[in-house]
Amino acid sequence: MSIDPILASVMQRAFKSITDEMSLSLMRTARSPILCEAKDFVTGLYDARGNMLEQTENLPILSFSVGPVCKYLLEYFKDDIHPGDVFFHNDVFSFGNQNNDVAAFKPIFLGEKLVGWAATKGHQADIGGAVKGGYNPQATEVFQEAIRIPPVKVVDRGRVRKDVWDLIFANIRLQIVEEDMRAEIGACTVGERRLKALIEKIGLERFEEHRDYLFASTEKLMREEIRAIPNGVYRGEGKIFFDGRHPGSEFTIRVTITVEDDHVTFDYTGTDKQTDGFVNGTYTSSASATTLTFLQMVNPDIPHNEGMLRPLKFIIPAGTVLNASYPKATTFGNHLCPPNADAIQKALASAMPKRVCAGWNHLLCALTTGRNPRKDEDYVDIFFMGLKGGSGAMDGIDGYDHIGMIDASGGLLDQDYEMFEQQTPHLLVKHEYLRDSAGPGHWRGGLGVDTEFVVGSEDTQLVTFGDGDVRPAFGLFGGKEGTLNFIDLKAPDGTVYRTTSKDLVKGVKKGTRFVQQAGGGGGYGDPRLRPADQVALEVRNGVVSVEAAKDAYGVALKPGTFEVDGVATARLRKGA
Amino acid sequence: MRLRIGIDVGGTFTDFLVVADEGSARVFKTLSTPDDPSRALLQGLTEIAESYGLGTDALSRAVDVIVHGTTVTTNAVLTRNGARTGLLTTEGFRDALEMRRGIREEQYNNRFANVEPLAPRYLRLPAKGRLDRDGRELVPLSDGDLESAADTFRKEKVEAVAVCFMNAFANPDHERRAAAVLREKLPGVYLSVSSTLLPAIRFYDRVSTTALNAYVGPKLRNYIDALLEKLAQIHFDGILRIMQSNGGVVAPEIVRDRAAMTLLSGPAAGPRAGAFYGSIHGLGDCITVDMGGTSFDAALLRDGQPLFITEGEVDRLRLALPMLDITTIGAGGGSIGWIDKGDLLRMGPQSAGAKPGPVSYRRGGTEPTCTDADLVLGYLPADEFAGGRIKLDVAAARKAIETHIAQPLGFSVEQGAVGMARVIDANMAAGVRAVTVRRGFDPREFPLIVAGGGGPQHCCAICAELEIPLFLVPRQSSIFCAAGMLMSDLIHDDVRSLPSRIDQLAPGLLEQRIDELIAAARATLRTEKVADADMAFQPSLDMRYVKQYHEVNVPFELGAKDVVARFHREHDRLYGYQLEEQKTPVEVINLRLRSIGRTVKPSFPEMKKSNADASSARKGSRRAWVPERREFEDVPLYDAERLHHGMRLTGPAIVDQANTTLVLTAAYDLVCDRFGNFVGYRRDAVKTLPKSIQELVR
Repeated sequence: MSIDPILASVMQRAFKSITDEMSLSLMRTARSPILCEAKDFVTGLYDARGNMLEQTENLPILSFSVGPVCKYLLEYFKDDIHPGDVFFHNDVFSFGNQNNDVAAFKPIFLGEKLVGWAATKGHQADIGGAVKGGYNPQATEVFQEAIRIPPVKVVDRGRVRKDVWDLIFANIRLQIVEEDMRAEIGACTVGERRLKALIEKIGLERFEEHRDYLFASTEKLMREEIRAIPNGVYRGEGKIFFDGRHPGSEFTIRVTITVEDDHVTFDYTGTDKQTDGFVNGTYTSSASATTLTFLQMVNPDIPHNEGMLRPLKFIIPAGTVLNASYPKATTFGNHLCPPNADAIQKALASAMPKRVCAGWNHLLCALTTGRNPRKDEDYVDIFFMGLKGGSGAMDGIDGYDHIGMIDASGGLLDQDYEMFEQQTPHLLVKHEYLRDSAGPGHWRGGLGVDTEFVVGSEDTQLVTFGDGDVRPAFGLFGGKEGTLNFIDLKAPDGTVYRTTSKDLVKGVKKGTRFVQQAGGGGGYGDPRLRPADQVALEVRNGVVSVEAAKDAYGVALKPGTFEVDGVATARLRKGA
Repeated sequence: MRLRIGIDVGGTFTDFLVVADEGSARVFKTLSTPDDPSRALLQGLTEIAESYGLGTDALSRAVDVIVHGTTVTTNAVLTRNGARTGLLTTEGFRDALEMRRGIREEQYNNRFANVEPLAPRYLRLPAKGRLDRDGRELVPLSDGDLESAADTFRKEKVEAVAVCFMNAFANPDHERRAAAVLREKLPGVYLSVSSTLLPAIRFYDRVSTTALNAYVGPKLRNYIDALLEKLAQIHFDGILRIMQSNGGVVAPEIVRDRAAMTLLSGPAAGPRAGAFYGSIHGLGDCITVDMGGTSFDAALLRDGQPLFITEGEVDRLRLALPMLDITTIGAGGGSIGWIDKGDLLRMGPQSAGAKPGPVSYRRGGTEPTCTDADLVLGYLPADEFAGGRIKLDVAAARKAIETHIAQPLGFSVEQGAVGMARVIDANMAAGVRAVTVRRGFDPREFPLIVAGGGGPQHCCAICAELEIPLFLVPRQSSIFCAAGMLMSDLIHDDVRSLPSRIDQLAPGLLEQRIDELIAAARATLRTEKVADADMAFQPSLDMRYVKQYHEVNVPFELGAKDVVARFHREHDRLYGYQLEEQKTPVEVINLRLRSIGRTVKPSFPEMKKSNADASSARKGSRRAWVPERREFEDVPLYDAERLHHGMRLTGPAIVDQANTTLVLTAAYDLVCDRFGNFVGYRRDAVKTLPKSIQELVR
């Protein structure tokens, strides 16, 4: 049979449209705002061997662990996989990336023959463990964090295994998690129906040939991209501050990137040892972080399938902060992506100065739980709109304002303000760009945001997790750094508590003002090279202050106007 | 004789289709007048009157209905030349419009920039005042803030203001007060108020839709006012209807304040027309493409029905109003060719439009356009363009291409023109991919129904790029949307929120609310002169399981008991599961009503089959570029007026029509169907064509 390249390209687009449809299905049916508003989930299709066909990666950091788990399922259940089965999985010691990210897998059959898999994985509002919502900064072992779901079969040939199902949900606090796992299964069914119809139309043999062709052509694209990077060995470092248990603690990620013709190896040998808190990565969360950072440096149009991954190698030694050993706590692991990305950007800056970014703002996130008096029910809210800072600038383009951490790259959405007020008891007061937060540069960093809400439930519990409160996003090639993150709790009695980056605050009073700043991204190139008119316009728009225009950019405005004072600016910029 | 006229005001041309009650149809085209589009419209009506041997007053009396669509608003957004717009919003939230919920659509592309906001930050002003989630006042609205905002807007010469406050969906009072103050302080400024335009929850959707409405409002309002005035001058007292994005038509008074409902007005008639022409050959699944002067629209038809969305985007900006699912890109005859910083040849999205127009029009244009390239390639008749009303200046076109394209790239003028055509063809092919391949459909299985003045010159190239073996160019292709407008019904979409568990609703309440909506819609349709017998009402419910946040729309027949069962089934079909067994309670959120006023549809006369062959329509030849052979040749030239049912041509060939030119490249043949439409097909793929077409070809 001959290969029809157009068919391969149609198949690729069809996969993408199916995973998009699965994503829409989950988004529109889920109850938890983390899923239906912020889209903290991934949907994907895999072939009969667990190779990735395509994914819709709303949150990239979750995304590159689904394929490995699919392969693990095949090995684990062997021939005990049947039409109508459904499997759940979250276990971080068998290729899961984070305890809260729970996957549903549905095998797809033509007759009795396994031809593929549909899977979804989403951040569930609760997963048991010691702390509601799942982020327990005091945890030292996985058992204090979550119920472990090594793969289990929850539906056997179309029949729900009630005992297994009930065992899982008896260990999870919120009823909506059960509903949202049903929504995950529903999205898998949508994928199953569509992929099955596609394979039936094309014919299995022809489908498989063209799948192989698609993988090979994608692999070739990726190899061409890598070939464009000069061969060499590149080293970089990223810093992690505070493990949640030992104030002042610091850890270093060390990466050695070896580019050799058409493949690249990311070797993390030399990275600091694992912590005894929950600030630890898992193999797949760390490899995902590396993958997504590197993908931003190559042609963004390369399809996301198994072929794309083949030229990439990862060495992430066990027992390090990026790959903790059993039974260490790891819930923070996804959020080691920002320092990991820093290490990679810094390592490759000299080799590909036009492809790397200055530093992105690191995540600092808050999760509130309590009882919603209006609905008389428990709620869990991850406060997405407050956490999204700016991205790093790069050669020729400013950073993206309010995009959020690099592990989501603009895929994680703010809650809609009005939906936030429907879903939580809180009252939103402010959500605006933060003046002077962008790292100055010829190209400036993305702007951070300034957010405030009034806590609306009694005895609220607040968990923070993240970073970026010690060292701001770095600048590159003369660009300056962005601003720091922080979260303040202003109690009704006037006392102010600044949280740490991994905190658990109990008994927050109703009426407390939650104030958060997410910092801006780093700048790129000398700020004195930025066109003065552009700086003046940003002053007019209130995102750069008159002082910063003068001090950071060397741009003077005529007093009381937004017009550039050419003479004074030239004087300030002399020597630029 | 009674007449019905469809008028499509594009960025470059204004198209007219006049249909008489006995079925005869005439086509007219005038150059658009973007500074006052109604001038071109009146000019066209004058020409129509002349053609029927009537004065304009007599014509006015003979016309029952004018249906009319406009790309005025669409083009304002695509080319960012809408009104200078301000936003008044709740203090603390003035960046929501620009943030777009923090999305970056291309996550792995660090060079992908955010969209330019419709109102710059210094014109997005805060007002103190706050409603809570149920619409109760927490903080009174600040009069001082309203006054100072009005002052700033006046000083900054703002032409339109969008007003969108937090939780205004639940209580419009604050917005109404703000609007009253602004109306008083800023006479003549267009006001767009979220609780009037879209009284639905979701702040970002509302602020974005309201700002879009403001941004395009003054252009549409001025246009409609000028139009009504001009029609009054010629004593027109028939019915004027405006095309909306939802594929239906509406009275001008209604749409004047809801300009955003026309954002896809022009293209919205295309799918309807496409369905009609496709049905002639039993083609239910097809793609309609329309290449005008400024934009290129593509839409997919499945089983003869256009696809429909309740929320979409225009240029990455959220528009939460019901609309047809049409992809628009900036590619048209007026698209300007340019060289980017990386020395790549680019086409558009900037368009020379009608003014200054392509260089060859000699109306002041200096930058080479797609039309100029088509002229140099021999595709357009220099002396007979637009029915001979525009003489095209080949030398000027060549010079512009040489200066701006060929010299910088080290090309010959011809190579420059070929490059321009190839780039714009690739852009349009990508637009077609967006509606097919990206949704998992194989474009080769969908015939292309080709429209617009530019479509027939480029359809073979687009088909070749996508390997589509079959296309259809309607006889009325150049005024395709104008034709679609005469085929469209009046449509009004209403929504009313009624959040409640369905088992807890007072008995009969749903029916009562629907009756109220129907009564209001019936009154509206009567003002639009629709007889009761021609009205149809389609109520539906937005339903969900409790604690979900998105709804499924389920048709609701009055008195029907099975709406919950239908919801379970629909949820399963869409999302792969249902919770009937779990007895999960079901909520109603919104009640929707689509009200339809059926209109009289035009019918076109059939042609008798001709026994003559196409040589009788031959009118010489033209030196033109043949892409398959990569050279200029003397290509046979035909007169469309003399091509009749059953005649066929072999490519390469060029068919000149009064208002467009069909370019048939070497790989394609063409046959004329019983309505005089041109059916083109790849010669080596006849066996793969649908049976109806194979019979026609045989």
